[in-house]
Amino acid sequence: MPQGDYIEEFRRRFGERPDQREKERKRRAREPHKVAVRSKELRGLKAKIFHRERFKEKIRLRKEERALKLKDAVAKKNDTGEDRLKNAIPAYLLDREDSVRAKALTNTIKQKRKEKGGKWDVPLPKVRPLPDDEVFRVIKTGKKAKQKEWKRMVTKVTFVGDGFTRRPPKYERFIRPMALRMRRANVTHPELNVTFSLEILGVKKNPSSPLYSQLGVITRGTIIEVNVSELGLVTTSGRVVWGKYAQVTNQPELDGTINAVMLV
Amino acid sequence: MTVGGLKHIQVVPEALDLIDIVLSQTQRKTPTVVHPGYAITRIRTFYIRKVRYAQSCFHERLTKILSDFPILEELHPFYADILNVLYDRDHYKLALGQVSRIRSLVDSFARDYVRQLKYADSLYRAKCLKRAALGRMCTTVKHLRPALAYLEQVRQHMARLPSIDPMTRTLLIAGYPNVGKSSFLNCVTNAKVDVQPYAFTTKSLFVGHMDYQYLRWQVIDTPGLLDHALDERNTIEMQSITALAHLQAAILFFVDPSETCGYAIAQQLALLRSLQPLFADKPLFVVCNKTDLGWEQQLDPATWTAIRETAEQVGAELMTASTMGDDGYASVFAVRNRACERLLALRVSLKVSGRQTDSVLNRLHVAEPKLVRTPQIPASVLERRQALRDADDALNQNTAPELACTLSTSRAGRKTERELERDHGGAGVYSMDWRKHYDLTDPAWRYDYIPEIVDGKNIADYVDPEIHQRLLALEQEETMRQSMLSDAVGDEPRADVPVDQPSDTDVALIREKARNQRRLRQQQAARDRTQRPKLSRKALLKVRKTSQAVAKRPWGRAVDPSTTKQQTRKAAHSAPVVYRTRAVSDQSLVPAGLRDVVQARHAQKLVQRTLRRAFSGREHRQGESDRFIGTRKPHHLFAGKMSLGTRSHR
Ligand SMILES: Nc1nc2c(ncn2[C@@H]2O[C@H](COP(=O)(O)OP(=O)(O)OP(=O)(O)O)[C@@H](O)[C@H]2O)c(=O)[nH]1
Ligand SMILES: [Mg+2]
Repeated sequence: MPQGDYIEEFRRRFGERPDQREKERKRRAREPHKVAVRSKELRGLKAKIFHRERFKEKIRLRKEERALKLKDAVAKKNDTGEDRLKNAIPAYLLDREDSVRAKALTNTIKQKRKEKGGKWDVPLPKVRPLPDDEVFRVIKTGKKAKQKEWKRMVTKVTFVGDGFTRRPPKYERFIRPMALRMRRANVTHPELNVTFSLEILGVKKNPSSPLYSQLGVITRGTIIEVNVSELGLVTTSGRVVWGKYAQVTNQPELDGTINAVMLV
Repeated sequence: MTVGGLKHIQVVPEALDLIDIVLSQTQRKTPTVVHPGYAITRIRTFYIRKVRYAQSCFHERLTKILSDFPILEELHPFYADILNVLYDRDHYKLALGQVSRIRSLVDSFARDYVRQLKYADSLYRAKCLKRAALGRMCTTVKHLRPALAYLEQVRQHMARLPSIDPMTRTLLIAGYPNVGKSSFLNCVTNAKVDVQPYAFTTKSLFVGHMDYQYLRWQVIDTPGLLDHALDERNTIEMQSITALAHLQAAILFFVDPSETCGYAIAQQLALLRSLQPLFADKPLFVVCNKTDLGWEQQLDPATWTAIRETAEQVGAELMTASTMGDDGYASVFAVRNRACERLLALRVSLKVSGRQTDSVLNRLHVAEPKLVRTPQIPASVLERRQALRDADDALNQNTAPELACTLSTSRAGRKTERELERDHGGAGVYSMDWRKHYDLTDPAWRYDYIPEIVDGKNIADYVDPEIHQRLLALEQEETMRQSMLSDAVGDEPRADVPVDQPSDTDVALIREKARNQRRLRQQQAARDRTQRPKLSRKALLKVRKTSQAVAKRPWGRAVDPSTTKQQTRKAAHSAPVVYRTRAVSDQSLVPAGLRDVVQARHAQKLVQRTLRRAFSGREHRQGESDRFIGTRKPHHLFAGKMSLGTRSHR
């Protein structure tokens, strides 16, 4: 106890208040009422947050309760001391008891579906086609209006490779803004269920238009090639794989990042 | 960094709390209304501002944490080591480093997203980007959870560390557990350290303060030390070691030869020997405690010589003490005084031999008078003093009252108040007479009774020191008037005496003038009330001037000179002036508290001037100190349908 710990010091010298226990008990008893009042009176965002927390708390409680009941039931069923010891499962594994079978079932169903589908199925088979006027913004140059509107600015996220050299600005038809250029993607390996931040090697195909693929426009559903040399994947013949395809699953222009699923 | 720096660190919020704080602050402090119809630039700035604001909030808070917590390298080595012992320097640095890293991450996120927001082409896109930006900032800050929790604990613990000043005069108490270290501290200072009959009662450093030779001393109690290797020592023991190593103090090493502490004397001496490197250049004392148990008689001579030899070996002074107070704490204070003296001598000698002293001593010069002048006291005074002293002696020898009287008479024949008090029943019975020494014109007035209130009026309000002169002046005036009146009754009114009563024509003239003025005022007021454009005062004056000039010019418009203002004014001047003599009734015009009419008029003028200054140019208009109600019926409070009991306001 350090010298400045005045609370402990006080307790040591003078003890606690005579009604301390009583007060604590009352406060505990009053707590649910306070929570009820709060849940009634809160409005707006605060209410939303509050209710979400409360919901989580209730789920937790219910799970605990169920776990307890289950424990009781199991204990009643095989009451031999040996068995009890054998079946002792740590608390954090308790509620997985019945989900194991369900999981196995769903897994098999998924497996079957997968096999039924085409071999080249991608995670996002269908995406909304993007019209030109959504992807390109017209840049006005020159003084006379109509004839000169031939420059375009890409409004979506793009990938521009290392070897890209700009043409003279006067003849540059497509402008890809620096702020919207991205070099890395968060790629999830669907089997390992892990995500890596990988470097992009190129844009393989943008489903909306070959022009977009050429320009390196990255939108939802685009197939990109990523550098997986860090992961140390090996082909059947024993070679190290370093490029792999992945499909973009989010809308990079809205999220500011690229999320993709690796195609395996 | 001072000791205070450790104690005034702001509370470190938990990571989740920090996120809540920042998000709600962003919500509160930035605009909240935006519509898709707005110009896109406006929408962009709206969201950019939100991102920037959240970033600056995070940045500020994390910077505050970084700047509050001390940098170990900048602290006094004692504090640096204590912090290392208590909180583990690596852990501490890692936590702070993580905070700093997260701060820069938050900054880079903000930079990145603001750049992207500049290309947002719709409200939806801007909003999504903002959401992503805040989300990423929050997620990184969430990773700070363990670091922030640790820092908060460190903060709380630091705030409760004793304030030890490593540079001041210090006594340091060390020794085996249970030998009576804390008891000694409780004896010499006001500290209240726990004393219990088991080992390791004291688990951290404790500080007490005391005065010796008009100086403030700091006494530090340390946890007990066992005799083993340094790397086997635990946190509790390491605190003692740190204090011993870094503080320039007098060290009192306590030993319990009676062995009631539960450790053999040989062990205690071994510890003393093993700690020797830490005692270099410090006054060291071996204090054999608990003499009241009588170990001095029973002690084996061999043990005693062992103690003495060890003390000599480590260069310590051997002393004995008992903190139980059987000897009235004489032994305890002997130890304390000896230690203080030696430390003080050491400090002074260090200071004198230091580098800076030379430069100071060169500049010092103590001046002493060459010729000694003794005070010259006249022989008569000396005689009287001698007489007084004799009388006092006599009084002391036999305290007879008559002797006291002779004493008082010997003092220039005047009785002092003190003597009077003694004669008249002593303190509390005799009440002193203040009026006796009142300084008045006539001493006979001293005991006059002056009431404060008469007939419900405070007489102080009616005191006029010049009342006599005024009365005289009034009386003179009256006699003069009476003589004049008798003269007037006697014959024709004399020309050289000013006329008292104005004639009828004069009265008519004055009334006419007053009426004119009133009419002008009314016209002016009517003109002011109208809505038509008005001339400013300056412009009005100019117009008047030109009209006057026109009137003056001989070639100007033919104007009847009698109607122009100047002429009328001149006429007014040349008209027979009626001077009223100062009448008695004039006095009644003077407000209370003023001397005469002149003063009253002056006062009036002053009042007007201040009023003019205060309100010049904005009479009756709204000022900034006025109560202001922006909207009398705010729309959102009065519009819309309401059913009974749904309204939360009013
Ligand atoms: N008879 C006697 N007992 C003493 C004396 N000084 C201390 N004691 C007793 O020794 C016991 C331990 O005293 P403390 O002052 O707590 O010893 P400490 O060195 O601070 O012990 P730790 O904090 O555990 O290291 C207590 O029971 C005291 O009453 C003394 O001079 N004479
Ligand atoms: Mg102690």
